[in-house]
Amino acid sequence: MVDAIKNTRVYTTWGTKNAKPVQPKVAAKTISKAKRPLMVVGADLLKNKEVLDRAVTIAKTAGIPVAATGHSIKELVDKGVSAKYINIHSLGLYLCDPNWEGLDGNGCYDMAIILGHKKYYINQVLSGLKNFTNLKTISIDKHYLQNATMSFGNLSDEKHLEALDELIENL
Amino acid sequence: MSNVTTGKFSIEDLENVQVTIENIVGAIEEVEETEEEMGVTPKPGISSLRHWDFNLLNRYEPIYTPMCDQCCYCTFGKCDLSGNKEGACGIDMKAHQAREFLLRVITGASAHTGHGRHLLHHLIEKYGRDHPIDVGSSNLKTPVMQTVTGYKPETLGDLEKALDYVEEQITQLLATIHMGQEGEAIDFESKALHGGMLDHVGMEISDIAQISCLKMPKSDPESPLAEIGMGCIDSSKPMLLTIGHNVSGVTNIIDYIDEQGLSDDIEIAGLCCTAIDMTRYNTDEGDEPKSKVIGSLAKELKMIRSGVPDVIVVDEQCVRADILREAQRLSIPVISTNDKIMYGLKDRSNDNVDEILGDLESGNEPGALILDFDKLGELAPRLAMDMAPIREEKGIKSLPTSEELQELTERCVHCKECELVCPTNLSISDAMSAAESGDFAPFEELHDKCVACGRCEQVCPKDIPVLNVIEKSAQRVIREEKGKLRSGRGQVSDPEIREEGVNLVLGTTPGIIALVGCSNYPEGTKDLYRIADEMLKRNYIVVVSGCSAMDLGMYRNEDGNTLYEEYPGKFIKGNLLNVGSCVSNSHITGTAIKVASIFAQRNVTGNFEEIADYILNRIGAVGVAWGAYSQKASSIATGCNRFGIPVIIGPHGSKYRRALIGKPYDKDKWTVYDARNGEELQIPPSPEFLLSTVESVEELMPMLAKNCMRPSDNNMGRMIKLTNYIELSEKYLGVMPEDWYQFVRTETDLPLTKRGDLLKKLESEHGWEIDWKKKKIISGPSMKFDVSSQPTNVKRLCKEA
Ligand code: SF4
Ligand code: SF4
Ligand code: SF4
Repeated sequence: MVDAIKNTRVYTTWGTKNAKPVQPKVAAKTISKAKRPLMVVGADLLKNKEVLDRAVTIAKTAGIPVAATGHSIKELVDKGVSAKYINIHSLGLYLCDPNWEGLDGNGCYDMAIILGHKKYYINQVLSGLKNFTNLKTISIDKHYLQNATMSFGNLSDEKHLEALDELIENL
Repeated sequence: MSNVTTGKFSIEDLENVQVTIENIVGAIEEVEETEEEMGVTPKPGISSLRHWDFNLLNRYEPIYTPMCDQCCYCTFGKCDLSGNKEGACGIDMKAHQAREFLLRVITGASAHTGHGRHLLHHLIEKYGRDHPIDVGSSNLKTPVMQTVTGYKPETLGDLEKALDYVEEQITQLLATIHMGQEGEAIDFESKALHGGMLDHVGMEISDIAQISCLKMPKSDPESPLAEIGMGCIDSSKPMLLTIGHNVSGVTNIIDYIDEQGLSDDIEIAGLCCTAIDMTRYNTDEGDEPKSKVIGSLAKELKMIRSGVPDVIVVDEQCVRADILREAQRLSIPVISTNDKIMYGLKDRSNDNVDEILGDLESGNEPGALILDFDKLGELAPRLAMDMAPIREEKGIKSLPTSEELQELTERCVHCKECELVCPTNLSISDAMSAAESGDFAPFEELHDKCVACGRCEQVCPKDIPVLNVIEKSAQRVIREEKGKLRSGRGQVSDPEIREEGVNLVLGTTPGIIALVGCSNYPEGTKDLYRIADEMLKRNYIVVVSGCSAMDLGMYRNEDGNTLYEEYPGKFIKGNLLNVGSCVSNSHITGTAIKVASIFAQRNVTGNFEEIADYILNRIGAVGVAWGAYSQKASSIATGCNRFGIPVIIGPHGSKYRRALIGKPYDKDKWTVYDARNGEELQIPPSPEFLLSTVESVEELMPMLAKNCMRPSDNNMGRMIKLTNYIELSEKYLGVMPEDWYQFVRTETDLPLTKRGDLLKKLESEHGWEIDWKKKKIISGPSMKFDVSSQPTNVKRLCKEA
């Protein structure tokens, strides 16, 4: 078992509400319970093939549609996952809109699973979601993302892979 | 406030054009007689263009991404606004974020306007109030000012009136930031747009004034090339380094060096926009620039830490707060020349030059405040000449030796504290390990991504000067940092607009991509080169300014040319134009205004809304501030937005706290009126946003092409734009864009080479009816194509409204 929440240090704080540190097993359970989850994967995913593979596995195993932000779609087409390109900032806006029909026309989402993003950038997007929606956001990235609802802690690349594997086992 | 701006005009009044015009003209005595009739909003006040703003904000919704959950503006606070709660004064999170954004915008606008006031003051003193405005071969000399204020200045003195107006408006806007003023986000947004518009007037005043007086290129497509890069500095000569944005005092230094015949003996180079404007100084007749350019703010610490400068002269804006402390460590005297940055230095403006030299050379004083530019002109070069041997004798060195580098990298305990605080979380720890075993490649790569903020050094438990380690390890690549920068040409001229306007409006020139702003890039400087290179090859007009203009010049293609050497600098398709420094950004909105005026014969004078509406619906221009960090960048972008020009910022731009993004799925939002009869027309979702962030250059490329599409594109234009959109999406995202069909009005809009395939897709995937014999679309498109329709968002501009 990986301890994925040992290090939750932050450089500066956004303020009053911080992500609940979450272990891979609990993260897996929470994701499995979501009615309409969306996996939001960013372009930093392309910098690490191992993480990319695990992202695909998670989406496939749990049957979660993927919002491919940045240019992450480039490595997600033809991988057997339901992935669509969308700009992350636009996604942030649409997720605030109960009338948005989602990427597939089946309605808005109740959970966003975050992976493969620039820490400073996704923290901003999450800050918007945290303040203006009830959407549950769960970060399984290698950084502790304080503006998510739940997040892994800060992890080395190796520990991050272990955490993702453990999450996959428990889906 | 003037009579005009306090005059009550509501949206209803504005529908009655006749009455409104009479009211306004009657109230404005100061506005000169012009041939054009005065538009409906000369010198608009805070509320005058509110209905235009609301029009924009209805389609482009603000999305807030707070930097902080709290407000600490007054002593009722701190208040926790998280979850959009209200603070003690009743303001909620959204309104507070909009207020924060407004504050950023007017801070930026103030910086440019303050710069303009300082510059104008100085130039009027030197050249006289009657010195003519001379920007080259244009009648529309101050398009932004004329559109906003209704003024048509002829002399330097005339510029003051517009500046008075801008300053007054900024004060009014700043007042609304106070606790207990505005309460709704939407009105803070309208105010922010107002502030952005004012910024462009302030910038235009600054640049027009300096172009007119300082013999800068005047709409010159062949403005000279300057050397750029840390690698182009000749460190064997005494070196004078300038930092900032306001060239006024530095011109005296250049003159002195010239007069004394010291040009070959001193190396003079600059950082940030002062550097750009130094290369523009005295080059309107094709003379070579007298100075070199080092780069943007991200190079400030790097250049100082190199130990090469012998004197540093600072003026204003984007100058690091620790310049004096950093310089002092390396015995580099600092001369401050502008009351915006004085660093606690003694004011020596009235002292004898020899006395000041004595105090600085002996190290008795770390620097001096010199507000007398004649004195500055003599002092700075003499000081550089004297300091070089003094510093040499002292054996001043900054970067570690190879042995010291080894020791420093070994000292690292890989705690990654530095990575946690690094703005982009660079992999410093791994690079330390690599360097320890003699592999400097990771640090060489890191050098370009590092913005030299110094945060890493503040936290290292082992006191490792991380930036010095990076810079020493990257010496090989730094030596290669030598490029060329086309010095700023100033405005796009009226004759150029006459030639190119039609292509822009019909879309046969696929668009204008304006690369502007600062150097807080997500993945280093080369991204800019990639963007410009790709879009130039595709025949877009690429306009650059400021730090982006600099960083673009740092790279060479396979033939060893920079893009400035590769592409000509006229305002026609496939050309690369550097308009100049930060304040030259006003020429980008100015160019769009000129298209409305010269090509479409619209009256621009005091007629903001109609012109902005024209630009929004017909001119395919997109601004990109890829490394935007400053408040000025937010005001420049916001000004572009009010003028109807969308802007994309890099991922760091999410920290501006708000974007303006449309919802393509909300079809009702994508309609305009046809000005011929007031009928509603469906338009494609482009521009899709007014301000948005983008994650990577790969994502950016197709987005640029898509957001250049406009309702006015003719078939050829739409086909070209759509081809670019599809090709760029396939190239960089590996997929056909999902929404491509939304831009198709008729079969002739479809890319020629793919027409058959795309018709099939329209039939099978979107249920469109196709006449296969004639290869024609029978039904399907949500938009009609009518080349003579006149798209407008403003109902009062419609004939039968
Ligand atoms: S301005 Fe309002 S929200 Fe801010 S601290 Fe004061 S009372 Fe609180
Ligand atoms: S903070 Fe210092 S010791 Fe720690 S990893 Fe960075 S350079 Fe090494
Ligand atoms: S100086 Fe460079 S490496 Fe250090 S924190 Fe700043 S950007 Fe990161």
